Amino acid sequence: MATVGSTVPSTIKSKQLRACLLCSIILLPAEFRKTGCPNCEELMQMKGSPDRIATCTTTYFDGVISVIDPETSWVARWQRTSKYVRGVYAVRVKGRIPEDVESELDSRGIKYRPRDQTEQD
Amino acid sequence: MSDGEDQDMFGQGGSDPAMQEVEEDVEQDGNEEESAAQPASASKGKGREYEEEEEEEEERDPEEEEDDEEDEEDDEEEEEDSGRRKKQKTRHRKKPAASRFLDIEAEVSDDEDEEEDEEYDGADGFIEAVDEGGDDDRRHHALLDKKRQIAEEDKSPEQIARDLSRRYGQQRAVCYTGDMNEIPQRLLMPSVHDASLWQVRVKVCTWRHEREIVYSLMRKAIDVEFTANPLNILAAFQRDSLPGMIYVEVRSSAQVAKACNGLVGVYPSRGIQLVPIEEMASPLQIKKQDITVTPGSWVRTRRGKYQGDLAQVVDVTENGEDVGLRFIPRIDPNPTDDGGVEGSKKRKKTTGPGNMRPPQRLFNYEEIIRAYERKLNETYKDGLIEKDFKLSALILEDVNPTLDEITQFTRKRDETEHDSMIDLLVIAEASRKAAIAVLQPGDHVEVFEGEQAGVHGVVDEINQDVVTITAIGVEIDGQKVELPARSVRKRFKPGDHVKVMTGQNADETGLVVSVTDNVVTFISDMTLQEVSVFSKDLREAAEVGSSTNAVGNYELHDLVQLDVQTVDIIFKTERDSFRVLDQNGQVRLVKPHQISMRRDSNRAIATDAHGHELRINDNMKEMDGEGRKGRILHIHQSFYAFLHNRDIVENGGVFVTRARSLVSVAPKGGLIKPGTDLSKMNPAMIAPTGGMVGSGNMGRGPRDRDIGLTVWVVKGAQKGYVGTIRDTNGTIARVELRTGNKIISIDKKNLHKRIPPDGKLVPLDYHAQGQNDGFKQPFPRNNGGGRTPSNFNNAMARTPNPYNDARTPAWNASSRTPNPYAESGKTPAWNASSRTPNPYADGGRTPAWNANSRTPNPYASGGGSSGTWGGATPGRTPNGGGWGDNSGWGTSPERTSGGWGSDAWTAPTPAAAPTPASAPTPALSAPTPAASHTPAAYRRVNVASAPTPGAGLDMYNEQDDIAREESPFNNGWLFDSEFSNVQQRLRVIVKRTRHDNYLNGDLENHEGRVMGAVRVGDNFEQSALIKFEDGAIPQRTILTKYLDPAPPKNMNDEAVILDGKSKGVVVVVRESPDVKVTVSTKADPSSIFEVPQDELAMLYPEP
Repeated sequence: MATVGSTVPSTIKSKQLRACLLCSIILLPAEFRKTGCPNCEELMQMKGSPDRIATCTTTYFDGVISVIDPETSWVARWQRTSKYVRGVYAVRVKGRIPEDVESELDSRGIKYRPRDQTEQD
Repeated sequence: MSDGEDQDMFGQGGSDPAMQEVEEDVEQDGNEEESAAQPASASKGKGREYEEEEEEEEERDPEEEEDDEEDEEDDEEEEEDSGRRKKQKTRHRKKPAASRFLDIEAEVSDDEDEEEDEEYDGADGFIEAVDEGGDDDRRHHALLDKKRQIAEEDKSPEQIARDLSRRYGQQRAVCYTGDMNEIPQRLLMPSVHDASLWQVRVKVCTWRHEREIVYSLMRKAIDVEFTANPLNILAAFQRDSLPGMIYVEVRSSAQVAKACNGLVGVYPSRGIQLVPIEEMASPLQIKKQDITVTPGSWVRTRRGKYQGDLAQVVDVTENGEDVGLRFIPRIDPNPTDDGGVEGSKKRKKTTGPGNMRPPQRLFNYEEIIRAYERKLNETYKDGLIEKDFKLSALILEDVNPTLDEITQFTRKRDETEHDSMIDLLVIAEASRKAAIAVLQPGDHVEVFEGEQAGVHGVVDEINQDVVTITAIGVEIDGQKVELPARSVRKRFKPGDHVKVMTGQNADETGLVVSVTDNVVTFISDMTLQEVSVFSKDLREAAEVGSSTNAVGNYELHDLVQLDVQTVDIIFKTERDSFRVLDQNGQVRLVKPHQISMRRDSNRAIATDAHGHELRINDNMKEMDGEGRKGRILHIHQSFYAFLHNRDIVENGGVFVTRARSLVSVAPKGGLIKPGTDLSKMNPAMIAPTGGMVGSGNMGRGPRDRDIGLTVWVVKGAQKGYVGTIRDTNGTIARVELRTGNKIISIDKKNLHKRIPPDGKLVPLDYHAQGQNDGFKQPFPRNNGGGRTPSNFNNAMARTPNPYNDARTPAWNASSRTPNPYAESGKTPAWNASSRTPNPYADGGRTPAWNANSRTPNPYASGGGSSGTWGGATPGRTPNGGGWGDNSGWGTSPERTSGGWGSDAWTAPTPAAAPTPASAPTPALSAPTPAASHTPAAYRRVNVASAPTPGAGLDMYNEQDDIAREESPFNNGWLFDSEFSNVQQRLRVIVKRTRHDNYLNGDLENHEGRVMGAVRVGDNFEQSALIKFEDGAIPQRTILTKYLDPAPPKNMNDEAVILDGKSKGVVVVVRESPDVKVTVSTKADPSSIFEVPQDELAMLYPEP
């Protein structure tokens, strides 16, 4: 698992940690800038773009999950992150993805679920 | 391994249950997918199934791993450049990781690893199956290519795409599919097949400690993933709202313990609890009651210059992180101007926090331009600043904007135009939530919105957000109505008596005068001012405020000092301030911080109009003016008296007046004797001497004499302890024990002290005879402003008393006969002499003698003005030390002019001299023979020259002197063996008989020859037979203590040396005797030497 390093934040103590609004992975802003979101870079396109990082991620999140085994973990499944890379995820992320991403999701027929736990079913 | 074997495995792979499970998880990608992928997992699956094939496994596993790596490299080539770059970088960085990887190769023989391996391989390892056992690279690649070609040809493009995304999904950005988004969450609830969730207690210490633990679990899991002991954790999480616990998803509790082992701050011993399957989702579902930040709502800032300031939200950024606020700016009206705009800006930053916070002030363009001469890089609108804040820097809960703050916001609006951007309704809305919390059963509420608007009633019960009220009035009277709590508010009507429960005006009570929506205005009981509060903060209350008389450290009727000049008495306490009355009768409103100190006038006394003393708590009446009566609360500088009378309405019954204009309501006992020197106590007379007298001892009562005393505890738990009295309060003393460094409070009765001579233990209130304690009685403590005679607790403190009564206890104690004084005190001679000051004036010495404190009576009667007698005393003080020195006497100016210059000694000032009595002491105690011989010499002269010859005077003088003499010789000198051979020749002189009235003093100064002396027992008085020279009494037995050796008088007299190394030697005086006598022995007249006269005793010539 040589890739693990890039999907886990190098520290958890930083107050700058940001959570992706779409997949809720937590990384440092620098890491987002360097590699983008490991899960949804295709949509978010945050790599090398601090502006995008600012709009697509947030520091306002609550609860930290260390997902070590995404495929088998129920927690990851419940959080709908079992398809994502191993990493640190937020339980709850405040905010919504930018409209362009939302419409892109829409065009792909994917239902957007905000991660702020406002909608539950 | 041969291809055949591969084929074999291929066949088995399809039925591998593990594989199927994985596939299910990742949607039904189809069993047929990646036909080549299956063998890999199959081989693994087989490996797991046939565990006994260990040898084979060992061989194969490393190969697999190697292949795997190779495989990845192959994959990379196919990827986009970016992907490869990323990967290579990672490789580079993670060199240790790679070596770890190699390590594993040797170790991966463990069964436990297989699960991991399997998953790992299953994801992207189909090729390796093909590669299995291929040592020839070229052949291997060719084979691989062919396989892939075949496989891909079979697939649809969609499938290929899916495969690709799936294959590389874990390493790089996937195409976001949101594939699980369609599934409702309830279907995601855990099942029995899922790993269980365990709750672990962790330390609650620092901020988000749990977060760190969860993170370190992750790191740990990754670190040991490929070691012999992997952690097997699936996930771990933490919630900010559940401090002190983390959740770990794992198969068994043993694995939890293993995972937590060695982590700092985790307490597995506190119990690792299994979360029941139905509750597993709960910790993940916890939702903070989110306070939505919407434009218009009120917030407070957490930090910085505007910390705690109320602000209104203007806008919120898309991701909800930044919030645009508007609030009242704090612009420094006097920016420190340190030259240059840039410079000042920098400086400003550095001095930021240390500076005083500028006050909140609406922006004023002209002012700012004047102050800064430039524009500020901030946006202002309508006097308010608009600024962006991070959401985390804001307080969203419990904002509770006060009316004051809101009005500050609205004031500006009123001044400009009425765009109702800020509406009271907003606050009302904000405070409504809080209002629910303050509702209580029994509250009278009204419904102000919804269908039932206008209905009012009494709250019956409150169930969260639903309030049940019993309606009052109209048709539904008496019915119970359920209402949402947010649509009711407390109802008050004018005339209600209310009390404020919370907020700035808490505890204020008053009468409601008007009600506007939810703002109630009432007249405060305390300040009689209108106060407006939200109805939610009010309750109906019968009580009247001002329940406490104390604000801060000060209480009602305390005497407090505001500044140097003003002392005030608190006559009314308000919520956070006092009404005070100063000594000039002015009323002020002060805050506690304006008071510099509290004064204690408990011990202060003053004199009333009749010269009687008055103290605190005396009931007094004004002599003039309004004739108000009252009880004295405080006395200030012995001049102002603060009185209290409940019947007076004004100023709470407190008034101030001059002590001199007061008379006692009831005549008091313990009046000061008329003869007392009032000038000392009368502040009016002291005042002119310069204020220091009065102010100097204000607030400082007399010290308890016992303070500082070393005492022995004789009773109680501390019996036997020794300590020092630190403080006293009535009969209680605070004693600092020598041991244990403890201060205890103990009754003085249980304390004893030691008295000097023999260290006997006596009670504290025991006073040795002769200690002159009698003085304490006639003299009230602290009279005359603190000059307390009782403090002078020694034999010298005789002064004040003699004026009242010459026979002081001290005198009696000293066992010196006072009789002669009493008798001679009023002799004409005395009076005569006092009227004729001449002799004293020119002689310059005698008046001092007579002025001696021990002869006051003659003056009292003769001088005629007893009240001012004390005035004469100070003259003596400066001279006290030189008492026995004659020359000093004569030249003392105080003596001649100040002390005796007729009018000078009636002046009130001398009263300041506190210790006149100390003067006589030196002579008293002086044992020097020098003193003894001189007075006698001139005493006679004095008597002779006195125009009013009086035996009494003469006698008095002499006796007085003698009385003070001590025999310089030891009592039994006469019997000294050195003198035995000359004993019968000794010439002696009778001394000191008058003082003791021995033989009526008739023989005083008579000289005679020792006829015989026999030493008797020590218990008896020694005596000797003396033959006197003058014939009055030819022979008499005299007590030897009255006999002194007579010094030689003439040349050629024989004498014996009384002391020194030549003691007992008989010598002949060779020159006229002086203080030093030149002598030589009879045998050797040439060797002359000097001997002090008083060391010689004259001898009668040998018979």
